Amino acid sequence: MDEKDEAHEPLDLVRLCIDEFVVVKLRGDRELKGRLHAYDSHCNLILGEVEESIYVAEEEDEGEAPRVRTVKKQSEMLFVRGDSVVLIAPSEGVKQ
Amino acid sequence: MSTNGESPKEEPKADPRDPSGFLSEIIGNAVTVKLNSGIVYKGALQSVDGYMNIALENCREVADGRVIRNYGDAFVRGNNVTYISADSI
Amino acid sequence: MGLENLLPLELIDKCVGSNIWVIMNGGKEFVGKLIGFDDYVNMVLEDVTEIDAIEGNSKLPKILLNGNNICMMVPGGDGKLVMADE
Repeated sequence: MDEKDEAHEPLDLVRLCIDEFVVVKLRGDRELKGRLHAYDSHCNLILGEVEESIYVAEEEDEGEAPRVRTVKKQSEMLFVRGDSVVLIAPSEGVKQ
Repeated sequence: MSTNGESPKEEPKADPRDPSGFLSEIIGNAVTVKLNSGIVYKGALQSVDGYMNIALENCREVADGRVIRNYGDAFVRGNNVTYISADSI
Repeated sequence: MGLENLLPLELIDKCVGSNIWVIMNGGKEFVGKLIGFDDYVNMVLEDVTEIDAIEGNSKLPKILLNGNNICMMVPGGDGKLVMADE
């Protein structure tokens, strides 16, 4: 298939993230950062040491661009249902 | 068909014009992936599977033509994908 | 020749090589030359115009369109009706 190493199918990329910190984008303007303990083919995930960021658009009065407020929550461990997952990326590669 | 190798993937592909033929043609190339939400990701296409799950290398998140975020590698879940566009064909 | 006994996907198969107009569930539309498709009606399109009421139109040389969100397909369509209405 391709010239170099591991990636034969997309989920291999997730497999390589096991025990590493990942950024997970979810539907509904939510984002998680945490240590990936487990995943399956539905993208159900178990994350530890999690920080959840929720981006809330705040209505500005009259004509101003809506400002985005970020709500952060911490949790020790959580389960993510796969159908809400949009993107998974190893945390160390994420810039800005 | 080889049974002893690790990846018996590259068998003669069916029709180079159907979706799987197109995909094997653009693996490794620069692509644009658009999601149903309107978000656009650009990067080098590492792999795609039957769910249209996608692995992108050097992935950039683009909104209004501006890069708003860089991911090194990224896995995009296929159900969110509207299209995969080849940047150079 | 009548169309009475033409199955839907046979109609799409007849479109391979010609222009097709695809209308997605979200209201987005695509017009382009149909290169091929699979059992899920994922489609390879060439010289595509993406039509979006909000974002405007854009050109794409060659795409794989996910069949999951397709609502309707019009053989030979060029999207002109919609654009003329704007």
